[in-house]
Order: sequence, then structure tokens, then C-alpha cells
Amino acid sequence: MSALTARIAQDYAAAELPDAQAAPRRTALEALATCGLPTSRDENWKYANLRALERLRFVPAAGGAAVDPAALPAPIPGFTRYVFVDGRFAPALSAAPGAAFARLQGGAAAAAVRPADGDARFALLNQAFATDGARLQLPAAAGRQRLEILFLACTDSAQGSSYPRLEVSLGPDAQLDLIERHAGAAGAAPFVNSAVDIALGRGAVLTHYRLQELPPRSTHFDTLTATLAARCGYHLHAIATGAQAARSTQLVQLAGEEAHLTTALAALGDAQQVQDAYARIEHAAPRARTEQLFRGIAAGRARVAFNGKVVVAAGAAGTDSQQSLRGLLAGAQAEIDVRPQLEIYTDDVRCSHGATAGKLDDNMLFYLLSRGLERQVALRLLKWAFLADAFARIEVPELRRQIEENLAGVLQDRALKELL
Amino acid sequence: MTAPGSALLRIENLHASVAGKKILNGLSLSVGRGEVHAIMGPNGSGKSTLASVLAGRPGYEVTAGSVSFEGRDLLALPPEERARAGLFLGFQYPVEIPGVNNVYLLKAAVNAQRNTQGLPEVDAFDFLTLVREKMQLMRMEDSFLSRGVNEGFSGGEKKRNEILQMLVLEPKLALLDETDSGLDIDALKVVAGGVNRLRSPERSCVLVTHYQRLLEYVVPDFVHVLVRGRIAKSGDRTLALELERRGYDWVTGEAA
Repeated sequence: MSALTARIAQDYAAAELPDAQAAPRRTALEALATCGLPTSRDENWKYANLRALERLRFVPAAGGAAVDPAALPAPIPGFTRYVFVDGRFAPALSAAPGAAFARLQGGAAAAAVRPADGDARFALLNQAFATDGARLQLPAAAGRQRLEILFLACTDSAQGSSYPRLEVSLGPDAQLDLIERHAGAAGAAPFVNSAVDIALGRGAVLTHYRLQELPPRSTHFDTLTATLAARCGYHLHAIATGAQAARSTQLVQLAGEEAHLTTALAALGDAQQVQDAYARIEHAAPRARTEQLFRGIAAGRARVAFNGKVVVAAGAAGTDSQQSLRGLLAGAQAEIDVRPQLEIYTDDVRCSHGATAGKLDDNMLFYLLSRGLERQVALRLLKWAFLADAFARIEVPELRRQIEENLAGVLQDRALKELL
Repeated sequence: MTAPGSALLRIENLHASVAGKKILNGLSLSVGRGEVHAIMGPNGSGKSTLASVLAGRPGYEVTAGSVSFEGRDLLALPPEERARAGLFLGFQYPVEIPGVNNVYLLKAAVNAQRNTQGLPEVDAFDFLTLVREKMQLMRMEDSFLSRGVNEGFSGGEKKRNEILQMLVLEPKLALLDETDSGLDIDALKVVAGGVNRLRSPERSCVLVTHYQRLLEYVVPDFVHVLVRGRIAKSGDRTLALELERRGYDWVTGEAA
């Protein structure tokens, strides 16, 4: 047992979780004791900032942090909002639980994390410690629902950690638009370990907007697993601008034929930020389609990494997979790593990928300058344009407005002068 | 041509090189207010280099000579300040910028200029009315406004877009770098109509072109022939016709 897993076991004992002996928790804890958390020596973790783990306290934050409702992001019209503070449900800030939303309390978190999956180990940590969570469940053919789950992190990691948990299960042909937002108190330095588990039934459609807007001193580890049945659609839009060190792991299996996955991810890093993401998409059934897009910008001394792996299993004939991964280097000391990977075990497939990492185009910049635009404005505009692909297809106007406003703020305030 | 004091643009003994290769070799030219000059010349004579140097494109090194614009040292200004001072470069190869839409660029450009002049930002409604009017002139569809800058445009659409930008920005000096290249006759007429629209006693134009075809529609006051980085011959519009008849060899032979 490593020093880290020993500390986890110690904190687990200290946490005095009421259902500490419940099977899902114990299973997760034991699996962690065996396999440990990833280290930078692990192939898919070399860009993540794992040092933050050395300092924090794994015990769940006590809860009860005061949140000013006026400080929350503006509500999105048509979406019903549920709020969690430090991983705990906050009824005073939330809509009344309805048919689609249920609270997951204590060790009831039953999602089957495959312990054999080395890249899902942070989900085990969540499963061991999460005290609360949201379960969104829609029955077969449920008409389109629109929900927002807002996870706020307000407590510093020295006091305790935040374990947001979200389980989504859509019956056949059900439809859900889901906003999942991670934000927090401005000055806080929380540790947030989120786990999202998604199961989509045959013909179901999930449009999932994920916004990672955590305060600048946060550490975020995130694991998303999704299983797609036949002919279902999963459309993921993820935008990561916050936290000091962030790592998102996405493990998606297209398990049914003709399932359709689109993912559009944007990540921005500046100063000393680390934005690391790993996506493994497994085509396990015939004629499924994936379109994966990534746009990342690294400024200052930031590191922005995206590793996108597509695995086409034997028997997944007729797979169609496209990857477009682009990184923009916006600082002399910044780092961009974009890496597409393909593993194909069948013949009849169409897989394409493009990956680039570079600077802004000099010709584009000169064109804008020649029209009289200030250099700073031109640079900002080009960065905006670079990211635009990643949020162009967001069809919720108010959400899109908030995203654009946030990005404009991020692009404006940060050190742009280092560019080029 | 023009009395030295009143020239809008005054280029003297300009030498410039690209990647260590000398392209301009002592070029001198004065452009007065309201004048239209055509600069012709064989491939590689330095026509586009001249346009790029004047607009401030990076990668061009001026090794000697001077350029003044309304009495200011043009070469000391960064490209965006040259533009705001009233210089407009129509690109030979307009750049595609996906994700930045046309109307946004036009508005940002107009506001940058107004800001320099101490004017408030343009009213959004008035601005759109103005742009639509100019678009009609350039026979451009309304949908163009929300498209990315030059994104997926045909060659002709790109050139029309350059002229549209020029009409909206109303520069003191328009420098059009082979705006006629790659245009069919209908598009050429539209582009020429746009250029003529801007002609006035205050505004000047330098047309860089390989063929005299454009000059049938935009009649220049002066024609210059550039050979090996300097002006080898100047004249009025009949010089262009003579060039057409006799070919560039006629001038390059003389200049040798």
C-alpha cells in the first residue's frame, strides 16, 4: 500500500461515514487499496497534475457552507435547477425534487465502476467517499426534460473534499438536455472529485453541457463513464476554463449498433494552470458513429493536454469515427499536447483524425491589423474564432450567452501579450 | 505629377528585401489627392512587395528610402495605425478567418477608426443600413454578413468582399493588389464599379495589376511600369494600352 492509499484509508476511517460498511463503499475502497491512484508514470496520466493529492484531506467537507443565492449563475430559462454545495444537496437553492430527479444518499451510490479500468480510479475514490448525489432517471419514451445540476465547491481542501456524483439513466427513446456546472466560491481552494455515470437506453438522446468554471485555486479530478445502447445519441459539449489543476477522464462505450456520439471540448489554460483531458471512446457495436472535436488554448505557463483514443473492437464493422483536435500555443512558456490515438480491430471502418498544435496564423493576424484593429483585439478575436468550433453547436441561447460571456472575460483578462 | 508639398503618399528611393532577397531597388512615386495610379509590371517586378511594404506586412525589410503619408513617416507606424490613418490594402489573396463573422470585422474596423478620430462607436442600426447599401452595390447577399470572414468564399466573392470593406472604411488611399486577378468579366465590372464609387477629389487609389483589363473600367490618371524593383516608365492611360500591344519585353528591354 502506498503512502497515498494509506492516507486514503486513514481518512476513510476518520470520516466516520454512517454507512461506512456499505458494500459499494467498501468495494471501492478495497479496489483503491489494491490498485492505488494513478501516478504520472501511468501512460494516460503523465500530463495531469497529481501533486495536489499530497496535501489534501480526503474526508468529505462538512457541508453547511453559506451560499448567497444571488451569487449563483443566472438560471437558464426552461431548465430546472438542482444545487449541491460541497457535494451535498442544497434544497434551499434547488427546485423541488420531481419525477426525474432523485437524491442519491450515502452509500446508495451503486454505479458499477469497473475496477479493472485503471483510468477510472478517481471514480472509485468518489464512490468510497461521496455522501450525496443526483440520480436522473427518465422512463421509456419520456418527453424531453431540461435539468441543470449545479455543483458548488466552497470549502478548502485542507478542511475536506467535495465529491459531486451524478447518475443519469435514460429509458428507451427518452430525451434529456442536461447542464452540469462546476463552480465555487471565488477565493476557495477546494478539491473536487466528480463522478458522472451515464446509461442511455435504445434510441434515447442526451444533450449534455458540462461547464468547469471552478475558482482559480481549485483542484479538479473528474471521471465520466457513459454506455450507449443502439441508435441512441449522446451529444457532449464541455468547456473547461477554471481550476488550477484539472483532469477530466471520459470513458464512453458505444455498445449498441448505430449509436451516435458527438463530443465538442474546449479548454483554456493560463498562468500555471493545468487542463488535462483524456477520452477513450470504444466502438463495440456495428455502424456506430463518433465525431470528436477538441480546441485548447494554453497561455502563460499553462499546460493544456488532450489525449483522445478511439478503440474499434472486432465486430464493430461500419464504424465511422472522426477526430479533429487542435491546440493553440499562446505563450512562450506554455505547453500544448494533443494526441489522437486509434486502435482498430476490424476491417470495415472509416476513421479519420486530424491533430494540430501551433500558434495563431500570422496571415490572419495581419489581415485584421490591416483593417485597423488593435493588436490585442485582433488576437482576442482570433482566439475566439479558434474556440468557436467547440461551442458553435450549443443551441440553448441563454447558456450560450453565459459561456460566451465567460470566455470573453477569460480571454480579455489574461496575459495575451505573450502571444506570438 | 503633383507638387511635392501636396502629395498624399510620397515614396522616395525605396529599397526593400524579403528573406534577404532585394526586391525593391530605389522606387520613387508620388500620389496626389484624388489621383488614381496604376502600377503594372511583369511577374516578380516587385508590385506586390510594394503593396505589402506600404501596408506593413511582417517579413519585409526596408533597407533604404522613405515613405510619407500626409507628411507622416508611414514606415514608423505599425500596420493597424497605417490602416487607421487612412490606408487600405486590398489583398491579392484575402485571408479566410473561420469563426470571425464579416459584420463583426467590419464593425470592429469602423470603430477602431472612429476611436482614433475621437468619435463614439457607430450606431448598430445605422451601421447595418450602411453596410447593406454597400453590399447591394457589390451584389452580395444578406447571408454574407453572418458568415465567417472569406470562409468558403469563391475567388470572386473574396475580391468583392475586399472592395466592400474598402467602401465601408472609406480610406484616403486604397492600395489594391491585383484585385482583378481571377475575376470573370461580370465580377470585374462589379469590382470596378466599387472602386469608381470611391473616387473623389479627396481619395486616391493605387491599382497594382498585371493586365490592363481593369483599367478599361477604372481609368487611371497615371500608369507606371515597374521593372526589377523600380519604376522604369510612367505615362498616362495610353501607356497601358501600349503595354498591352507590345508586351512587357518592350519596357524590360529598354530598362536593361
